[in-house]
Amino acid sequence: MSWVAVAKKDFQDAVRSKALWGVSAIFLLFALGTTYAYVQFPDVLAGGEGSGLGLALYLSSVAGLFVSLTAILVAYKSLAGERESGSIKLLLGLPHTRTDVVLGKVIGRSGVLTVPVLVAFLLAGVYAATSLDPFGVADYLIFVLMTLVLVVAYVCVVVGISATTGSTSRASALAIGFFLLFELIWSAVTFGIAYVANGFALPTTTPDWMFVVNQIPPSSAYGTSLFAVIPDAMETGNAAFSQFDAFYATPWFGVVVLAFWIVVPLALGVQRFKHADL
Amino acid sequence: MTAIDLDGVTKRYGDVLALNDLDLMIDEGEIFGFLGPNGAGKSTTINILLDFVRPTAGSVEVLGMEARTHSKEIRARTGVLPEGFEVYERLTGRQHVQFAIESKGVSQDPDALLQRVDLLDAADRKAGGYSKGMQQRLTMAMALVGDPELLILDEPTTGLDPRGAREVRDIVRQERDRGATVFFSSHILGQVQAVCDRVGILREGELVAVDTIEGLRDAAGDGSKLTVSVDVATDEAVEAVRNVDGVQEVTVRDSTLSVACEEGAKTRVISTIEDVGVTVEDFSTEETSLEDLFMAYTGEEGR
Repeated sequence: MSWVAVAKKDFQDAVRSKALWGVSAIFLLFALGTTYAYVQFPDVLAGGEGSGLGLALYLSSVAGLFVSLTAILVAYKSLAGERESGSIKLLLGLPHTRTDVVLGKVIGRSGVLTVPVLVAFLLAGVYAATSLDPFGVADYLIFVLMTLVLVVAYVCVVVGISATTGSTSRASALAIGFFLLFELIWSAVTFGIAYVANGFALPTTTPDWMFVVNQIPPSSAYGTSLFAVIPDAMETGNAAFSQFDAFYATPWFGVVVLAFWIVVPLALGVQRFKHADL
Repeated sequence: MTAIDLDGVTKRYGDVLALNDLDLMIDEGEIFGFLGPNGAGKSTTINILLDFVRPTAGSVEVLGMEARTHSKEIRARTGVLPEGFEVYERLTGRQHVQFAIESKGVSQDPDALLQRVDLLDAADRKAGGYSKGMQQRLTMAMALVGDPELLILDEPTTGLDPRGAREVRDIVRQERDRGATVFFSSHILGQVQAVCDRVGILREGELVAVDTIEGLRDAAGDGSKLTVSVDVATDEAVEAVRNVDGVQEVTVRDSTLSVACEEGAKTRVISTIEDVGVTVEDFSTEETSLEDLFMAYTGEEGR
């Protein structure tokens, strides 16, 4: 259980990052501003009456962007940086296994990223709850919890990347590459895949399996998973994501993809890290 | 019992041979000085003991356990001061020591440890603002957490002034008296000769000598250098000196003879020169020191 000590140390260390607080302050303003607009102009932004669920879905795109960017900021150096500076020898001179160290990093950095997410979304929620009636507290809280799952997933990806290398410039290149591929140009990539799969011609209808490809980015999977876990969104979700007959045609597929991002990159990173000469 | 047992340990980094077939046994309760110039392979050896890097060949046991499979148990019973480390800039000195205490699962007062390395005054400051010497002391305090059976100190006196270095040696002695084994590496002979029971000298990845300080001193004391100024350094005189029993080498420069010989042969050299009719105007003699021996072994200045 020595990852607890690593996580605590890591949280204490990373939470003092000034860059994190700069980005978090901007996020807080943005989340509150978005919520204010949603509450004040429900006709435009909510298409009628506003609700906790509506606000949650509206905020989820902001959350996806913030979480992906800050996870990179907070975690890309988590292991590569300690190897580059040599402080890893201080850490591993103590009785931790390398797996303990990676787990401790994931927990510590997730904790650090949880702070701004909770502060921003709980403040936004309190404000919205006092203005919207009915609000639907449960829907909104489940959204916040699911956002924390996205935090863990993204931190796992970036810590996993950081575990593969002893160079911070390489770690940042890989992490930024991940962000560019999955968060910025993924729609172009999916279009390309559909085009190639259709024999280098534009498909007239979207093939069913494109649903799977579309869910691959963590933030997309997160957006989809909200329809699986928020009770009042399930009806909409089932209608939107089950338009064809396939076992994966359900918003729960988003949860599966998030689980994939939590487990696989980290497992690969741990393997690389365990066999590395420090 | 054996605290450290290296058997045929070789480490290659690509084409570079960092350690070549290293055999080394260190007994429990001794202070062992691991000497050698920078780049000789000292840190590689220590990194292998701690499973930071894996040997290309050979077997490694620490505290009777295989270094790789039992690394966590070994490190639970070992205090480590690594080389080339950096502290966590944003954490205070006390938080560092507290982290080591929690990592080892012991209950100790961090302030008592900081007091021991003379760092209590700076306990609440962020370690990023510490001098190199203070960071070294902080790491020493972390190494002492949990009264480890084995202390592995990689260049512990780097960055310390003479007083700080002496304090490190005092701590090393106190730890040995408590029953700990101390493995202490340095590229400076003076840092280890006052405190170590035995030393090993590493050069280019090979162990060139392992002995007690007295043993090395005896080996060194065998040789002396005699410098003799004469009126005329005749060939006859040089030849006569070369034939004196116990003389290893004679070199001539102008009217000065430099004679490498055994301690007891010096008077015979002087009398032999005078016997062939050459006048000895002056002479001086000098002991080969441990420093010279260290230099001879490593090809580097010892101090």
